[in-house]
Amino acid sequence: MNNRSHTLTTIAILLSLSCKKVIQVDLNNASPQVVITGEVTSAPGPYQVSISRTVDFSDINQFPPLAGALVIITDNKGMTDTLTSTIPGLYTTQRRWQGTPGTTYTLHVTIDSATYSASSTMPYPVQLDSVGFQDDARIRKTKIQAVPYFRDPAGIHNYYFFTETINGVPRNRDFIFDDRLSDGKYIHQPLNDDSTRLQIGDNLLLSMSCIDSAVYSYLNTLQQNTNPSKAQSTAPSNPNTNLSGGALGYFNAHTIEYKQVIVHL
Amino acid sequence: MNPLRLLPLLITIPAFSQSKCTIHGTIRDHSSGEILIGAAITILQQPGSGTISNAYGFYSLTLSTPRSIPAVTTIVASFIGYRPDTLYVSLPSDTLINIRLNPGDTQLQTAFVSVLKKDANITNPIMGVQKLSINEIKNVPVLFGEKDILKTIQLLPGIKSAGDGNSGFYVRGGASDQNLILLDEATVYNADHLLGFFSTFNSDAIKDVTVYKGGMPAEYGGRLSSVVDVKMNDGNDQRIGGSGGIGLIASHLNFEGPIKKDVGSFTISGRRTYADLFLHLSKDTNINKDQLYFYDINAKANYKLGTNDRLYLSGYLGKDKLGVSDVFGLQYGNTTATIRWNHTFNSRLFSNTSLIYSNYSYVINLNNTTSAINLTSTIRDFSLKEDLQNYIDQRNTLHFGLQTTQHTLIPGVLDATQSSSFNSVSLPKKYDLESAVYFSHDWSPINALHVNYGLRLTDFSIFGPGTFYSYDKAGNTIDSTTWSAGHIVKTYFNPEPRVSASYQLAPSSSVKAAYTRNVQNLHLLSNSTSNNPTDLWIPGSNNVKPEIADQVSIGYFKNLDNNQYELSAEAYYKTMQNQIDYKNGAQLRANANVEADLLFGKGRAYGLELFGKKKTGPLTGWISYTLSRTELKIDGINNNSWYPARQDITHDISIVSIWQASKKWTLSATWVYNTGSAVTFPNGKYEVDGQIAYYYTQRNAYRMPAYHRLDLAATILTKKTAHKENSWTFSVYNAYDRSNPYSIQFQQDPADASRTQAVQYTLFKIVPSVTYNYKF
Repeated sequence: MNNRSHTLTTIAILLSLSCKKVIQVDLNNASPQVVITGEVTSAPGPYQVSISRTVDFSDINQFPPLAGALVIITDNKGMTDTLTSTIPGLYTTQRRWQGTPGTTYTLHVTIDSATYSASSTMPYPVQLDSVGFQDDARIRKTKIQAVPYFRDPAGIHNYYFFTETINGVPRNRDFIFDDRLSDGKYIHQPLNDDSTRLQIGDNLLLSMSCIDSAVYSYLNTLQQNTNPSKAQSTAPSNPNTNLSGGALGYFNAHTIEYKQVIVHL
Repeated sequence: MNPLRLLPLLITIPAFSQSKCTIHGTIRDHSSGEILIGAAITILQQPGSGTISNAYGFYSLTLSTPRSIPAVTTIVASFIGYRPDTLYVSLPSDTLINIRLNPGDTQLQTAFVSVLKKDANITNPIMGVQKLSINEIKNVPVLFGEKDILKTIQLLPGIKSAGDGNSGFYVRGGASDQNLILLDEATVYNADHLLGFFSTFNSDAIKDVTVYKGGMPAEYGGRLSSVVDVKMNDGNDQRIGGSGGIGLIASHLNFEGPIKKDVGSFTISGRRTYADLFLHLSKDTNINKDQLYFYDINAKANYKLGTNDRLYLSGYLGKDKLGVSDVFGLQYGNTTATIRWNHTFNSRLFSNTSLIYSNYSYVINLNNTTSAINLTSTIRDFSLKEDLQNYIDQRNTLHFGLQTTQHTLIPGVLDATQSSSFNSVSLPKKYDLESAVYFSHDWSPINALHVNYGLRLTDFSIFGPGTFYSYDKAGNTIDSTTWSAGHIVKTYFNPEPRVSASYQLAPSSSVKAAYTRNVQNLHLLSNSTSNNPTDLWIPGSNNVKPEIADQVSIGYFKNLDNNQYELSAEAYYKTMQNQIDYKNGAQLRANANVEADLLFGKGRAYGLELFGKKKTGPLTGWISYTLSRTELKIDGINNNSWYPARQDITHDISIVSIWQASKKWTLSATWVYNTGSAVTFPNGKYEVDGQIAYYYTQRNAYRMPAYHRLDLAATILTKKTAHKENSWTFSVYNAYDRSNPYSIQFQQDPADASRTQAVQYTLFKIVPSVTYNYKF
């Protein structure tokens, strides 16, 4: 159930009366933190892990890469791969392998004397049948939303993750869905977004991934962190990461399936 | 002229036949028959003696030393805003005297001023209490000109507004769900209309409100930080009449009259907003199909069944409808009903029996071309209360009784069409029985000392049927037990001792001290800081223990210039146990395992409240200042260390002034200032999957900018006759157009992708409005 959309719509009514302005806020600086993001997918490798540091809020959006880390991915079937780096902060798998559903992958990162690790189990894939479109003209502006069609497998708690690439440009907005209230249903939930991005005739590449519950929890709380609603939400916080050792970011072993469609109504 | 004053009641009975005699009766408004709550009955020959009428206008005054009283005793009845009345009673004899007072200026009766018991705030041992009548609030400027009792009490010390567009309020560091809001004794679970722009209380229907911030009497219980006791008007028992108002955003109409003159009366008030009409005027075809309105109806009737019995029926129905086209809808509302039976057993024993119903529910509709979903949630109460007041003599009053409430909570029913992406589910209902017995003794061992001590014993029992889960720290289910219907799964029993005392230093000054324990068994979970109609009430359970607060307070009270000025200083310290917060990303909607996402901890709050009020004269009003601190320590938040609660507002100032400039014009102004609430802001940022994410270190370590606002209003009386009254009110909310922050968001600069920025949202800039009010 998409609660965020309720809240957002309610708030949209509220804020039709409001006005906004950019202000200066005097924020304290924090010591830089390690940020690790990495993934293993069901598509052939190589896979990448990126390591960087946080910057102060007032700084420009350039995040210092962290070079010289020891990065290893293992699985629960005895595979070990030590990643190497050609671009600072970006670490790439070396061995020729492909992620398989049901396997648990573990990321180990050592920076100086600090170690960080995270495990993620790749779920079994769910078939994406098709992608349709819905004109949500009735909510405020005319807005086209992509609608993925798929059958949720009954009896298992499934978590889904969608991304959109429009005319070759990836959208920096993720969509997540879980079957907490939809177990076994035929799913056709529009990928709801506040902004108007899709236009008729656009070339849309939609990816659907099955993710594990820890990754879902991370992405769910990340959305609250990066896309706060305009209403005062409860105290924001760092997303629930699956990394131990105090790093920010996450490690995600997920399936992936693509559908390319021309946007139409 | 009051006939009672012309006709002294002379009752001649031998002077020494008994050692005690009692006069009792009911005090009412002479022209409308409205009962007067808190009116004073004093013996002229014994300054400082006397009693005060209770919530039903009943008073009982026992004179224990007939020897010292002359054959004819002079009794003075007085109430603020009314001309005092003098009654001549020949004693001793138990006598029933019903009194009706005429509205007017107290000042005129200078002969009696010295004996009037207008200094109840000095002698009353109960502290941390504030009472406002609708007459006092009617000239306070408010948003959209819509008189609002809940917004007005936020101008009193120790009661803090939760911000613009929010009826929620914080009392002495408590959260907004820790206020017990009663409408004619029925619990109101959501006091908001239109997501908090207005409160549920239509001022046409309200007689007065009493707020207890600490030291609440033992008959109240169930919430941690305050009791807001709202009483509805009874209706005019003399003539049929009414009143109404037409404003920019809402209109209201009130109709009242006798069922039988002097015996019974009724009143009915209705109110409807028409903000949505503005939406319909919009050219945007998307917006003009939107719905945004509320209505409410208050109704009450009372009937005298005999000399000693009176029956009251009161009810409230309110409904909000919000809809975005036909895609999204939200409806919510309260329904309450109260049946009360007053019985006077004898001149000293007054009883009230109440049967109470309260219901709050919301429905969310989500529709798209292929499917429809409804999500419903309800909380429903049936209560029985028996309350007895025994006025033993002038030094002793006993108050005792019992109450029991059956709570039924329907946490979530999701109804989805077959073609929908969602399954229909119905979370199990929850059944609880909350019962209490209580007594309190109002005792004055010597003239200068008044003590009120009491005890409330609360029992909260959780009943089956249902499956009850236990969770580990990570929120995984480790155990579950299923119980059948009627089985008591868990009982929480809590004694709540309460004691308060006042010691009169001089006729016009006193010191007071109080200790109170309060227990709360129903808790509200909210995923935004402003109160939301879809916030979730959960009862205590095997996982959720009762919240407990202990408060000590001390105060100094002084009246100046014949009680024209009232000054007070109160300090409090409060500790709170079993406070509730929840984990990051907690799912509150239709979640059977919501308790797995909860976190528990404790809180502490302390502060100083200064209050000065001018009660009479052409210029009236008050100044209040609060200095306070509220902190929480919750396992799993802020590294388990103390942090400021959101309601931690250091300085809070309110100034309210009302000037009766002439017979026609009344001018009023309020100014409020408070420190910004505690908020969490990021200390850094980083990139995840191409998006900017924010790095947080400490909970609530920052402050919103300070909030301040000036509101102005002017009322002109265009017509005034005995029964008719027409007036216009012009008001300006936020007169100097301050951009007060509603929220501050951090985001990527839309103009420069390499930058981030902070954006402040403001809800209300300057808002002028005009209202026409009439009485017929």
